[in-house]
Amino acid sequence: MNSVHFTSHTGEHAVVITRVAETHWHALEDDRVVGRGETSRRPDGRLFLSIDSWHGAVFDRLAEVMLADLPKPLYTVVDEADLELTSHWQRAGFTVRRREWEYLVPTDPLITGLGSAPVPPGVTIVPAGAAIEGPLSTLDREIRDEVDAAVGWQEMPAEVLVRPAGDTAPDPAKYAVAAASGRYLGLVRVVQVTRLPRIGLIAVKAAQQRRGIARALLAHVLGSLHRSGIETASAEVNESNEAATALFDGIGARRASSNLELVNR
Amino acid sequence: MSKTSGGIEVEGTVVECLRNATFKVELENGHKVLAHISGKIRKNYIKILPFDRVLVELSPYDLTRGRIRFRYRN
Repeated sequence: MNSVHFTSHTGEHAVVITRVAETHWHALEDDRVVGRGETSRRPDGRLFLSIDSWHGAVFDRLAEVMLADLPKPLYTVVDEADLELTSHWQRAGFTVRRREWEYLVPTDPLITGLGSAPVPPGVTIVPAGAAIEGPLSTLDREIRDEVDAAVGWQEMPAEVLVRPAGDTAPDPAKYAVAAASGRYLGLVRVVQVTRLPRIGLIAVKAAQQRRGIARALLAHVLGSLHRSGIETASAEVNESNEAATALFDGIGARRASSNLELVNR
Repeated sequence: MSKTSGGIEVEGTVVECLRNATFKVELENGHKVLAHISGKIRKNYIKILPFDRVLVELSPYDLTRGRIRFRYRN
Protein backbone atom coordinates (compact mmCIF):
# COMPACT_ATOMS: atom_id res chain seq x y z
CA MET A 1 0.00 0.00 0.00
CA ASN A 2 1.44 3.40 -0.98
CA SER A 3 -1.09 5.90 0.25
CA VAL A 4 1.18 8.80 1.20
CA HIS A 5 4.55 10.03 0.05
CA PHE A 6 6.47 12.78 1.73
CA THR A 7 9.88 14.20 1.12
CA SER A 8 12.29 15.68 3.60
CA HIS A 9 16.02 16.40 3.52
CA THR A 10 18.11 15.26 6.48
CA GLY A 11 21.41 14.92 4.66
CA GLU A 12 22.63 14.25 1.17
CA HIS A 13 19.60 12.23 0.13
CA ALA A 14 15.89 12.87 0.10
CA VAL A 15 13.82 10.97 2.65
CA VAL A 16 10.54 9.56 1.40
CA ILE A 17 7.79 8.56 3.79
CA THR A 18 5.61 5.74 2.50
CA ARG A 19 2.70 3.91 4.03
CA VAL A 20 3.68 0.33 3.20
CA ALA A 21 0.77 -1.44 4.92
CA GLU A 22 -2.37 -0.61 6.86
CA THR A 23 -0.38 -0.35 10.08
CA HIS A 24 3.16 0.35 8.86
CA TRP A 25 5.02 3.39 7.52
CA HIS A 26 8.62 3.52 6.31
CA ALA A 27 11.03 6.41 5.89
CA LEU A 28 13.39 5.60 3.03
CA GLU A 29 16.66 7.37 2.36
CA ASP A 30 18.45 6.17 -0.73
CA ASP A 31 16.40 2.93 -0.63
CA ARG A 32 17.41 2.31 2.97
CA VAL A 33 14.86 2.25 5.80
CA VAL A 34 15.89 4.99 8.22
CA GLY A 35 12.62 5.18 10.13
CA ARG A 36 9.57 3.06 10.89
CA GLY A 37 6.12 3.87 12.17
CA GLU A 38 3.58 1.36 13.37
CA THR A 39 0.13 1.31 14.90
CA SER A 40 -1.61 -1.33 16.98
CA ARG A 41 -5.04 -1.39 18.53
CA ARG A 42 -5.36 -2.32 22.20
CA PRO A 43 -8.19 -4.60 23.35
CA ASP A 44 -9.95 -1.51 24.74
CA GLY A 45 -10.13 -0.07 21.21
CA ARG A 46 -7.47 2.62 21.58
CA LEU A 47 -4.93 3.10 18.79
CA PHE A 48 -1.26 3.21 19.89
CA LEU A 49 1.59 4.51 17.74
CA SER A 50 5.30 3.81 17.76
CA ILE A 51 8.01 5.48 15.70
CA ASP A 52 11.66 4.47 15.43
CA SER A 53 14.09 6.73 13.62
CA TRP A 54 17.73 7.76 13.70
CA HIS A 55 17.01 11.47 13.18
CA GLY A 56 14.60 13.84 14.89
CA ALA A 57 13.68 15.29 11.50
CA VAL A 58 12.67 11.85 10.21
CA PHE A 59 10.64 11.24 13.37
CA ASP A 60 8.82 14.53 12.84
CA ARG A 61 7.97 13.71 9.22
CA LEU A 62 6.79 10.20 10.08
CA ALA A 63 4.61 11.57 12.87
CA GLU A 64 3.21 14.24 10.58
CA VAL A 65 2.22 11.72 7.91
CA MET A 66 0.83 9.18 10.38
CA LEU A 67 -1.23 11.77 12.23
CA ALA A 68 -2.69 13.00 8.96
CA ASP A 69 -3.75 9.44 8.12
CA LEU A 70 -5.19 8.32 11.43
CA PRO A 71 -8.29 9.20 13.45
CA LYS A 72 -7.77 10.82 16.86
CA PRO A 73 -7.37 10.27 19.72
CA LEU A 74 -4.01 8.55 19.30
CA TYR A 75 -1.82 7.20 22.06
CA THR A 76 1.76 6.16 22.68
CA VAL A 77 3.96 5.02 25.56
CA VAL A 78 7.42 6.34 26.42
CA ASP A 79 9.92 5.71 29.16
CA GLU A 80 9.87 8.92 31.19
CA ALA A 81 13.68 8.83 31.35
CA ASP A 82 13.88 9.00 27.57
CA LEU A 83 13.67 12.76 27.37
CA GLU A 84 14.60 12.94 23.69
CA LEU A 85 11.84 10.58 22.57
CA THR A 86 9.32 12.26 24.87
CA SER A 87 10.15 15.65 23.37
CA HIS A 88 9.72 14.23 19.85
CA TRP A 89 6.19 13.14 20.69
CA GLN A 90 5.43 16.44 22.40
CA ARG A 91 6.54 18.27 19.26
CA ALA A 92 3.99 16.15 17.41
CA GLY A 93 1.24 17.43 19.69
CA PHE A 94 1.11 14.63 22.26
CA THR A 95 0.57 15.44 25.94
CA VAL A 96 0.94 13.37 29.10
CA ARG A 97 -2.23 11.50 30.01
CA ARG A 98 -1.00 9.37 32.91
CA ARG A 99 2.05 7.79 34.52
CA GLU A 100 2.74 4.18 35.42
CA TRP A 101 5.37 3.29 37.99
CA GLU A 102 7.44 0.20 37.41
CA TYR A 103 8.15 -1.32 40.79
CA LEU A 104 10.86 -3.81 41.68
CA VAL A 105 9.35 -5.84 44.48
CA PRO A 106 11.54 -7.72 46.96
CA THR A 107 10.33 -11.22 47.78
CA ASP A 108 12.21 -11.69 51.08
CA PRO A 109 9.70 -11.61 53.97
CA LEU A 110 12.38 -10.00 56.13
CA ILE A 111 12.33 -7.02 53.76
CA THR A 112 8.65 -6.94 52.86
CA GLY A 113 7.43 -7.55 56.39
CA LEU A 114 4.82 -9.85 54.90
CA GLY A 115 6.07 -12.97 56.66
CA SER A 116 3.65 -12.34 59.46
CA ALA A 117 0.85 -10.88 57.29
CA PRO A 118 -2.31 -12.51 58.63
CA VAL A 119 -4.83 -14.07 56.30
CA PRO A 120 -8.23 -12.52 57.17
CA PRO A 121 -10.49 -14.77 59.27
CA GLY A 122 -12.38 -17.32 57.20
CA VAL A 123 -10.21 -16.71 54.13
CA THR A 124 -7.87 -19.28 52.64
CA ILE A 125 -5.27 -18.79 49.91
CA VAL A 126 -5.50 -21.25 47.02
CA PRO A 127 -2.03 -21.56 45.47
CA ALA A 128 -1.29 -21.18 41.76
CA GLY A 129 -2.37 -24.24 39.83
CA ALA A 130 -4.95 -25.31 42.41
CA ALA A 131 -7.80 -22.91 41.58
CA ILE A 132 -10.82 -24.34 39.79
CA GLU A 133 -11.20 -22.87 36.34
CA GLY A 134 -14.97 -22.23 36.42
CA PRO A 135 -15.10 -20.17 39.62
CA LEU A 136 -11.83 -18.44 38.64
CA SER A 137 -13.39 -17.34 35.34
CA THR A 138 -16.45 -16.09 37.22
CA LEU A 139 -14.30 -14.07 39.63
CA ASP A 140 -12.20 -12.70 36.77
CA ARG A 141 -15.35 -11.58 34.94
CA GLU A 142 -16.90 -10.03 38.08
CA ILE A 143 -13.74 -8.06 38.87
CA ARG A 144 -13.42 -6.87 35.28
CA ASP A 145 -17.04 -5.72 35.29
CA GLU A 146 -16.46 -3.82 38.54
CA VAL A 147 -13.37 -2.08 37.14
CA ASP A 148 -15.23 -1.28 33.93
CA ALA A 149 -18.06 0.32 35.91
CA ALA A 150 -15.71 2.26 38.18
CA VAL A 151 -12.38 3.72 37.03
CA GLY A 152 -12.40 1.98 33.63
CA TRP A 153 -9.69 -0.11 31.97
CA GLN A 154 -7.98 2.85 30.36
CA GLU A 155 -6.75 3.78 33.83
CA MET A 156 -5.16 0.37 34.34
CA PRO A 157 -1.69 -0.71 33.27
CA ALA A 158 -1.72 -2.32 29.84
CA GLU A 159 -0.81 -5.58 31.51
CA VAL A 160 -4.28 -5.95 32.96
CA LEU A 161 -6.33 -4.72 30.01
CA VAL A 162 -9.61 -6.44 29.43
CA ARG A 163 -9.25 -9.38 27.08
CA PRO A 164 -10.97 -9.28 23.72
CA ALA A 165 -14.32 -11.03 23.48
CA GLY A 166 -13.99 -14.73 22.84
CA ASP A 167 -10.62 -15.00 24.55
CA THR A 168 -10.06 -18.07 26.68
CA ALA A 169 -10.54 -18.27 30.42
CA PRO A 170 -7.68 -17.32 32.75
CA ASP A 171 -5.00 -19.99 33.14
CA PRO A 172 -5.26 -21.36 36.73
CA ALA A 173 -1.51 -22.08 36.69
CA LYS A 174 -0.83 -18.33 36.78
CA TYR A 175 -3.32 -17.38 39.50
CA ALA A 176 -3.40 -17.66 43.27
CA VAL A 177 -6.83 -17.04 44.72
CA ALA A 178 -8.35 -15.94 48.03
CA ALA A 179 -11.40 -18.02 48.89
CA ALA A 180 -14.04 -18.11 51.63
CA SER A 181 -16.93 -20.54 52.05
CA GLY A 182 -16.21 -22.03 48.63
CA ARG A 183 -16.38 -18.65 46.86
CA TYR A 184 -13.47 -16.84 45.28
CA LEU A 185 -12.96 -13.26 46.53
CA GLY A 186 -9.69 -12.06 45.02
CA LEU A 187 -6.83 -13.10 42.80
CA VAL A 188 -3.22 -12.40 41.94
CA ARG A 189 -1.59 -13.30 38.66
CA VAL A 190 2.14 -13.95 38.42
CA VAL A 191 3.84 -14.57 35.12
CA GLN A 192 7.47 -15.55 34.85
CA VAL A 193 9.01 -13.87 31.82
CA THR A 194 12.73 -14.62 31.50
CA ARG A 195 14.26 -14.05 34.94
CA LEU A 196 11.98 -11.38 36.37
CA PRO A 197 8.52 -12.61 37.40
CA ARG A 198 5.79 -10.05 36.89
CA ILE A 199 2.84 -9.47 39.16
CA GLY A 200 0.39 -8.79 36.36
CA LEU A 201 -2.80 -8.29 38.28
CA ILE A 202 -3.85 -8.21 41.91
CA ALA A 203 -7.54 -7.60 42.54
CA VAL A 204 -10.20 -8.18 45.15
CA LYS A 205 -13.96 -7.94 44.71
CA ALA A 206 -15.25 -4.52 45.73
CA ALA A 207 -17.35 -5.85 48.62
CA GLN A 208 -14.34 -7.68 50.07
CA GLN A 209 -11.80 -4.88 49.94
CA ARG A 210 -10.08 -3.31 52.98
CA ARG A 211 -9.88 -6.67 54.76
CA GLY A 212 -6.21 -7.36 54.01
CA ILE A 213 -6.95 -9.89 51.28
CA ALA A 214 -4.68 -8.25 48.67
CA ARG A 215 -1.87 -8.09 51.21
CA ALA A 216 -2.37 -11.78 52.06
CA LEU A 217 -2.33 -12.71 48.37
CA LEU A 218 0.85 -10.71 47.86
CA ALA A 219 2.46 -12.33 50.91
CA HIS A 220 1.62 -15.74 49.48
CA VAL A 221 3.03 -15.21 45.98
CA LEU A 222 6.12 -13.31 47.10
CA GLY A 223 6.83 -15.96 49.73
CA SER A 224 6.53 -18.69 47.08
CA LEU A 225 8.92 -16.85 44.77
CA HIS A 226 11.41 -16.34 47.61
CA ARG A 227 11.36 -20.02 48.50
CA SER A 228 12.13 -20.88 44.86
CA GLY A 229 15.21 -18.65 44.96
CA ILE A 230 13.84 -15.55 43.22
CA GLU A 231 14.72 -12.32 44.98
CA THR A 232 12.79 -9.74 42.95
CA ALA A 233 9.55 -9.44 41.00
CA SER A 234 8.18 -6.53 38.99
CA ALA A 235 4.82 -4.79 38.88
CA GLU A 236 3.31 -1.82 37.08
CA VAL A 237 1.01 0.52 38.97
CA ASN A 238 -0.94 3.52 37.77
CA GLU A 239 0.22 6.58 39.71
CA SER A 240 -3.36 7.52 40.60
CA ASN A 241 -4.09 4.10 42.13
CA GLU A 242 -3.40 5.15 45.71
CA ALA A 243 -4.29 1.80 47.29
CA ALA A 244 -1.88 -0.09 45.05
CA THR A 245 0.98 2.40 45.38
CA ALA A 246 0.55 2.38 49.17
CA LEU A 247 0.61 -1.41 49.19
CA PHE A 248 3.83 -1.66 47.17
CA ASP A 249 5.54 1.31 48.84
CA GLY A 250 4.69 -0.26 52.21
CA ILE A 251 6.49 -3.53 51.50
CA GLY A 252 9.74 -1.94 50.42
CA ALA A 253 9.14 -2.08 46.65
CA ARG A 254 11.33 0.36 44.74
CA ARG A 255 10.13 2.62 41.93
CA ALA A 256 12.68 1.67 39.29
CA SER A 257 11.28 3.62 36.34
CA SER A 258 8.12 5.11 34.95
CA ASN A 259 6.23 5.01 31.70
CA LEU A 260 4.21 7.92 30.39
CA GLU A 261 1.10 7.34 28.34
CA LEU A 262 0.77 10.22 25.89
CA VAL A 263 -2.29 11.25 23.94
CA ASN A 264 -3.01 13.40 20.91
CA ARG A 265 -6.69 14.36 20.95
CA MET B 1 25.12 -10.68 11.45
CA SER B 2 22.53 -9.94 8.81
CA LYS B 3 21.91 -7.03 6.46
CA THR B 4 18.32 -5.96 6.06
CA SER B 5 16.77 -3.07 4.21
CA GLY B 6 16.79 -1.27 7.53
CA GLY B 7 20.49 -1.74 8.25
CA ILE B 8 22.80 -4.19 9.94
CA GLU B 9 21.28 -6.46 12.57
CA VAL B 10 23.51 -8.16 15.10
CA GLU B 11 22.83 -10.42 18.05
CA GLY B 12 24.24 -9.42 21.39
CA THR B 13 23.93 -9.63 25.14
CA VAL B 14 22.75 -6.83 27.40
CA VAL B 15 25.56 -6.05 29.85
CA GLU B 16 24.14 -2.98 31.57
CA CYS B 17 20.88 -1.07 31.90
CA LEU B 18 21.69 2.65 31.93
CA ARG B 19 19.61 5.33 33.55
CA ASN B 20 18.41 7.17 30.48
CA ALA B 21 16.40 4.30 28.96
CA THR B 22 19.44 2.98 27.11
CA PHE B 23 21.33 -0.27 27.36
CA LYS B 24 24.93 -1.27 26.85
CA VAL B 25 24.96 -4.33 24.60
CA GLU B 26 27.97 -6.51 23.84
CA LEU B 27 27.77 -7.78 20.26
CA GLU B 28 28.94 -11.18 19.07
CA ASN B 29 32.16 -9.61 17.76
CA GLY B 30 32.97 -8.19 21.19
CA HIS B 31 32.11 -4.59 20.35
CA LYS B 32 29.87 -2.73 22.76
CA VAL B 33 27.12 -0.39 21.58
CA LEU B 34 24.62 1.89 23.25
CA ALA B 35 21.09 0.89 22.31
CA HIS B 36 17.59 2.19 22.85
CA ILE B 37 14.63 -0.15 22.67
CA SER B 38 12.26 -0.09 19.74
CA GLY B 39 8.85 1.49 20.03
CA LYS B 40 7.25 -1.90 19.48
CA ILE B 41 9.08 -3.39 22.47
CA ARG B 42 8.11 -0.37 24.56
CA LYS B 43 4.47 -0.58 23.47
CA ASN B 44 4.33 -4.25 24.41
CA TYR B 45 5.95 -3.73 27.81
CA ILE B 46 8.73 -6.20 27.10
CA LYS B 47 11.34 -5.91 29.81
CA ILE B 48 15.03 -5.89 28.94
CA LEU B 49 17.42 -7.09 31.64
CA PRO B 50 21.16 -7.65 31.95
CA PHE B 51 22.20 -10.97 30.35
CA ASP B 52 19.22 -10.93 27.95
CA ARG B 53 20.06 -12.02 24.41
CA VAL B 54 18.80 -9.40 21.98
CA LEU B 55 18.78 -8.51 18.31
CA VAL B 56 20.20 -5.04 17.70
CA GLU B 57 19.81 -2.93 14.57
CA LEU B 58 22.89 -0.74 14.21
CA SER B 59 22.52 2.89 13.19
CA PRO B 60 23.63 3.45 9.59
CA TYR B 61 24.99 6.81 10.74
CA ASP B 62 26.90 5.67 13.85
CA LEU B 63 27.91 2.04 14.37
CA THR B 64 28.35 2.58 18.11
CA ARG B 65 24.61 3.12 18.51
CA GLY B 66 21.72 0.78 17.95
CA ARG B 67 18.16 -0.14 18.64
CA ILE B 68 17.01 -3.34 20.34
CA ARG B 69 14.42 -4.86 18.05
CA PHE B 70 13.90 -8.28 19.64
CA ARG B 71 14.53 -10.00 22.95
CA TYR B 72 15.13 -13.73 22.77
CA ARG B 73 13.66 -16.06 25.34
CA ASN B 74 16.71 -17.21 27.28
